[in-house]
Amino acid sequence: MRKEMSLEILSSVEKPARYTGMEFGSIIKTAEETKVSIALAFPDVYEVGMSYLGFKILYHILNAQPGVAAERTYAPWVDMEAKMRENSLPLTSLETMKALNKFDFVGFTLQYELSYSNILNMLDLGGITMLATERTEDDPLVIAGGPCVFNPEPLADFIDFFIVGEGEEVMVEVMDLYKKWKNEGKPGGRKEFLERVVQIPGIYVPSFYKVDYLEKETQGIPAGCVKSVTTVNSLAPTAVQKRIINDLNTIDYPTKPIVPYGEIVHDRIMLEIFRGCSRGCRFCHAGMVYRPVRERKPEVLKKLARQLVDNTGYNEMSLVSLSTADYSCLEPLIHDLINEFKEEKVSVSLPSLRIDSFSVGLAKEVQAVRKSGLTFAPEAGSQHMRDVINKGVTKEDLMNAVGAAFENGWSQVKLYFMLGLPGETDEDILAIAELAKAVQGKYKEVTGKGGAKVTVSVASFVPKPYTPFQWVGQNRLEEINRKQMLLKDALKIKNITYQYHDSITSVIEGVFARGDRRLGKALYLAWQRGAKFDGWSEHFSYDRWVQAISDAGLDKDFYATRERAEAEVFPWEHIQPGVSRQFLWNEYEKSKTGTLTDDCRHGDCTGCGVCPALDAKIIDWKSSVL
Amino acid sequence: MKLRMQITKEAGIRFVSHLEYTRTIERAIRRAKLPVAYSEGFNPHIKFSLASALGVGITSQAEFVEIELAKEIDITVAVEKLTEALPMGIHIKAADVVGSKTPKLMAIASGADYYVRIPCFGDCLEQLQRFNSAESVLFQKPIPKGRGKTKEIQVKDFIKKVEYDYSNKELELRFACKITTTGSMKATELLKILRDQFSVPLILEQADIQRTDLYAVNDKGRKKMLIGN
Repeated sequence: MRKEMSLEILSSVEKPARYTGMEFGSIIKTAEETKVSIALAFPDVYEVGMSYLGFKILYHILNAQPGVAAERTYAPWVDMEAKMRENSLPLTSLETMKALNKFDFVGFTLQYELSYSNILNMLDLGGITMLATERTEDDPLVIAGGPCVFNPEPLADFIDFFIVGEGEEVMVEVMDLYKKWKNEGKPGGRKEFLERVVQIPGIYVPSFYKVDYLEKETQGIPAGCVKSVTTVNSLAPTAVQKRIINDLNTIDYPTKPIVPYGEIVHDRIMLEIFRGCSRGCRFCHAGMVYRPVRERKPEVLKKLARQLVDNTGYNEMSLVSLSTADYSCLEPLIHDLINEFKEEKVSVSLPSLRIDSFSVGLAKEVQAVRKSGLTFAPEAGSQHMRDVINKGVTKEDLMNAVGAAFENGWSQVKLYFMLGLPGETDEDILAIAELAKAVQGKYKEVTGKGGAKVTVSVASFVPKPYTPFQWVGQNRLEEINRKQMLLKDALKIKNITYQYHDSITSVIEGVFARGDRRLGKALYLAWQRGAKFDGWSEHFSYDRWVQAISDAGLDKDFYATRERAEAEVFPWEHIQPGVSRQFLWNEYEKSKTGTLTDDCRHGDCTGCGVCPALDAKIIDWKSSVL
Repeated sequence: MKLRMQITKEAGIRFVSHLEYTRTIERAIRRAKLPVAYSEGFNPHIKFSLASALGVGITSQAEFVEIELAKEIDITVAVEKLTEALPMGIHIKAADVVGSKTPKLMAIASGADYYVRIPCFGDCLEQLQRFNSAESVLFQKPIPKGRGKTKEIQVKDFIKKVEYDYSNKELELRFACKITTTGSMKATELLKILRDQFSVPLILEQADIQRTDLYAVNDKGRKKMLIGN
């Protein structure tokens, strides 16, 4: 059972409690109880991984199944990895301290492209054969899911199969299938299991597909682009449709999540109020792949909230979703929650604010006195750019929102923007500085004094698959750097702080976001040469990645900066989130003229195709209440 | 009314920091739904405290917590609820209630006992004897948040002697350490002194340290239990 790691090792690493488990709510099943075991593997450190709601959900759902033991494992920080390698200690789970290669399944979540090197590193540390094709009957089945599954191709060499879409139902189906196959004595080995599991909707087995590439330029599409993706196993579907939970009110939610000892990134109750967002921002991957909007009922949420407070002892609750201010019954829900938990001193928080005074009013209500600063995301500085990305927000909206904030005593505002959006000019960039100045001016107008602190935080735009900008060429590195400096000069203003991200990481993120399976080789080379924790700037090496991509015979610009032709076949099109290609193209065309598209939640259907494709519908409780 | 308890920090969670351990107990109190008193002010928190901070990596059979209650409760029920609400790795060993005016545990805890098992490669008995008979042992103790600054302390004011047992390259140590209002010493500091000043060949990184007791000392210098008197 539990094997203690030596005191010497644990006392020599940073934050050793990351590695020792035993938290309140963790579930340890005996070997006798366990018919099938799965390690839920988060490719980053404990504090990051423990904050991820998706794994809280799966941990709960899977462990509720008789015979299924779901355990957790995280990427060891570099100090611990060095100790493990030095002492030949394998990466284990936190529950039973079992090495990863002793599990039936190891399931990774794909949260961001820059975590892929950690997946390889964890497989290696866990004693698992790296390449899927070389794995034997002794290896676990290595599976993956999460947001990046809508282009899983760069990981095709390493993952036995992917889970596409929401996992609550399909994961249980996979476990049941495995139990049955195991009871039969595992006939046909891994191959037969893959042939059985591929028949479950939402399962993508990359080895059952063959990708052909254009040998020469064809109809304006350059050589090297995907020519076709075909199945090589008759049981595999030509396209894998994502799975969703049609009605969130009917599905189990983790009301006894693990409460860690140490402080994690999101150390509070996470109450998921709805899934999907149909605002239709054209850069937003989540907004396109998680459709349609499906809300939980206020009554259901209140019940869950009560259980969560009772079971965790947390004194803070965050209402999470892609756009919490859009929840149809938010105001009454917040009132009820605040009243319900007042005596128990549980505060309610909102992770994101919409740019309007309604949101500011809510922020005031939930934050009471703690006025730490408000964050808004106009995303772009000029009205034209905001229309290009379909943000649907005007300067007036922002001025009203910050005006309301300043009237209510706030004096600090943080504004999020992106650089490198399609069609962006220098004027659009300078408009960011103008907007920041206007916010300062608003403070003076409202309060009669100067000194409002404005933080301008700027990310560089990375085109993502299944967004209207999937055809767009990402800005070159030099161009992003130039734009960052342009804005830096324009923002040399008292009380304005300018924050921007490393542009080099977004280049590699861009390569993998729209990459194909040939990149597996580059990933492998980069990992062999020490790539890990690429999301942590101190560990990211741009040169290492550029070299690895080039040594794999590939060109980073082909993936990142190249503008795609309308008819180009993308490497990810056999994985289907439901939005139609035609809808995305139309949105791209509309972006060029700055034409807006409404939110289908309250307005007309925009024809994105999700509801008919998934046989689903929008669930919004306002309409049912009125 | 205050609820006092003696609780443990078991081996499996020894690397949880004092702050994390404190927060864990706070959440357990909330889960147990004890009728606790809250502090005043904007950011109210539960009125509870621990008797003495324990270093990271040290296990304990004798952590003491006291919780201020807003109303009276049945102690058996409270212990039952808290037992349910505590994570693996923390157990309740004893519980008692005292009046609200009783001085804080923190103010009365004046001594701790430790038991250490540590690999020791070579002769040590003569050196340990030398430590025990020394009149004065000085130590440059780092000042917390002092950026490398130290202050000289007299070790013998805190630890008079150690009991020891050496066999199979393992040294067992037992000692009492005084806690004063101006400070105390860490078990790890004593081990460092034994290694560096008395040439006891210890492997500090492998020390298994346990706090076995924490207590008050009365006027006559006698140990007095913190609860159950």
